[in-house]
Amino acid sequence: MKHISIDPITRLEGHGKIEIFLNDEGEVENAYFQVPELRGFEKFCEGRPVEELPSIVTKICGVCPGCHHMASGKAVDAVFGVEPPPTAKKLRELFYMAHFVHSHIVHFYALAAPDFVVGPTASPVDRTILGVINKVGLQIGSEVIKQRRIAQEIQALIGGHQTHVIMNTPGGVKKGITPEQRDDIIKKAEGFVEFSKFSIQLFKDVVLGNKDYVDLIMNGPYSLVLHSMGLVDEQNKVNFYDGKVRVVDTKGKELYKYSPEHYLDFVEERVEPWTYLKFPYLKKIGWKGFTEGQESGVYHATPLSRLNAADGMATAVAQQEYEFMFKTLQGKPVHATMAMHWARLVELIYSAEHCLELAMDPEITGNELRAPLGKIVGEGVGIVEAQRGTLTHHYWTDDKGMVRKVNLIVGTTNNHAAICMSIKKAARGLIKKGSEITEGTLNMIEMAFRAYDPCFSCATHSLPGQMRMILNIRDIEGNIIDSFRR
Amino acid sequence: MTTEKIMVLGIGNDILTDDGIGPKLAGDLTKMDLPAEVTFKTAAVGGLELMETISGYSRIFMIDAIRTAGGKPGTVYFFSPDDFRETMHISNLHDINFFTALEVGNKLNYPLPSEIMIIAVEIAEDLEFSEELSPVLRKRYPDILSKTHKFLLEALLSQKS
Repeated sequence: MKHISIDPITRLEGHGKIEIFLNDEGEVENAYFQVPELRGFEKFCEGRPVEELPSIVTKICGVCPGCHHMASGKAVDAVFGVEPPPTAKKLRELFYMAHFVHSHIVHFYALAAPDFVVGPTASPVDRTILGVINKVGLQIGSEVIKQRRIAQEIQALIGGHQTHVIMNTPGGVKKGITPEQRDDIIKKAEGFVEFSKFSIQLFKDVVLGNKDYVDLIMNGPYSLVLHSMGLVDEQNKVNFYDGKVRVVDTKGKELYKYSPEHYLDFVEERVEPWTYLKFPYLKKIGWKGFTEGQESGVYHATPLSRLNAADGMATAVAQQEYEFMFKTLQGKPVHATMAMHWARLVELIYSAEHCLELAMDPEITGNELRAPLGKIVGEGVGIVEAQRGTLTHHYWTDDKGMVRKVNLIVGTTNNHAAICMSIKKAARGLIKKGSEITEGTLNMIEMAFRAYDPCFSCATHSLPGQMRMILNIRDIEGNIIDSFRR
Repeated sequence: MTTEKIMVLGIGNDILTDDGIGPKLAGDLTKMDLPAEVTFKTAAVGGLELMETISGYSRIFMIDAIRTAGGKPGTVYFFSPDDFRETMHISNLHDINFFTALEVGNKLNYPLPSEIMIIAVEIAEDLEFSEELSPVLRKRYPDILSKTHKFLLEALLSQKS
């Protein structure tokens, strides 16, 4: 059996490794996705006052600190048995919309667009954000950088810091915003709306205008039939901050809708011997292996699954784009992995529109920022949608609010099984007996999981000296018979 | 009186064992003999945000953790971005790595530093949550701090004279 190793993955935060095993026929036998997992977070938290956790968890990940801060803040509210007042809740959401705008802009232009705007098999030297800027022009390139920076500025203003966010406190937020600050955010959010509309039009022009790309989305080796998970509001519209978790099956029928505190009745995690990262699955169906289809327990929690699991978007333009996407892709739910990029842009529009709505809400400058604390309940669950999937924080404390136990299911972990299966399917579709394995082939395999925007970040500042791509082909005894480096 | 804007930037996660070596060194260097005009900062960011953080400064000294194949923990390396150029372009690495972000900044006319130096410390452990360094780095820390300080002092004084 030949063994192909891709390590580490380009264009992903953190570290990862793909292992592809070829059989004697030269065809893909199996594929694994492995990541090293950070250790000791639970121990690190034990014995600390639970109200410290929202600030500590922003250091788990440099990519989605705001998501952890929000899930943690909600879990701490639950521990103290308190619900934030409307102004505090809206400020949290306002911050969170800016967080989504920032993250989705970066993913589309820096991580996804190189494959589509420059080309999936283009030279790797050109297949970068610089290549995208060369294609779309300096003015648009400047706008990309500007809009992401503005989103960071809003987060810093409301959150106290754009990365090490400190805004949440039990029962609310630490500070509000002035009418002048609100007016400034309104102007910035108007810019987000225009830029998000431009971005989805760019996607339509570049991707939908290219038959090869449409084939890649619809008919390529990039489909995976799974159940879909996402947070929804009372009207079953997509919501990132609050609501119930809804799961629809592979045909779009609602399987479950549950409040965050009941998540353990619906989600269970499987351990495999070859990786530290667990594999969540739908508990009531059970683990049926790495299989797709209606009988499988595997689900995904992604921008696409959120749109699949909801009945629509809560803002006007996003709703139009939601309808257009499903109409174009011929129905709902959609199981095309590459459509995650499209769904992410629909979400970008929703984030921008909702950011503007919240900034214009009269309550946003209110003074009631914190509700009186209730009696310590001793246990709390907070669930939000992170950019990369449903994020769960579950804390247990003693009667003084000191942490006894912590359980997290982070966005990407939800998709661990789906990512492994997507890689295997893409590899099987792209590596054929006797065919040459090129850099472009490898990139197209990577595209299968890059669509998930997976994040395994522990140190996003990693120096590039340690980040490189290696492809080894091994014979049946494990000897390297060929090696690619890039 | 110099008009140079100089920054020493410690990068890393201070609750991830040795990953916090950059911020720790930056913090301790503030108490040591270095030119008064130097600004000290810490950050746990990368890519575009790091590029924006250093925008407007003329000289940057970044202190970060590194792991190399067979490297001895505690070893201090001194790099310039040129040392990474070939790796970045040929290898098409992490797309939003710092050096790609620098190229984006240059292309979009950001006022970027004329000099960037990277002080990288070989580490032993960065997958475990702890506010403490690993035992091996803790033991070698006085030497790491001394080497980093000496390098900075020489680099800053040589430029001034």
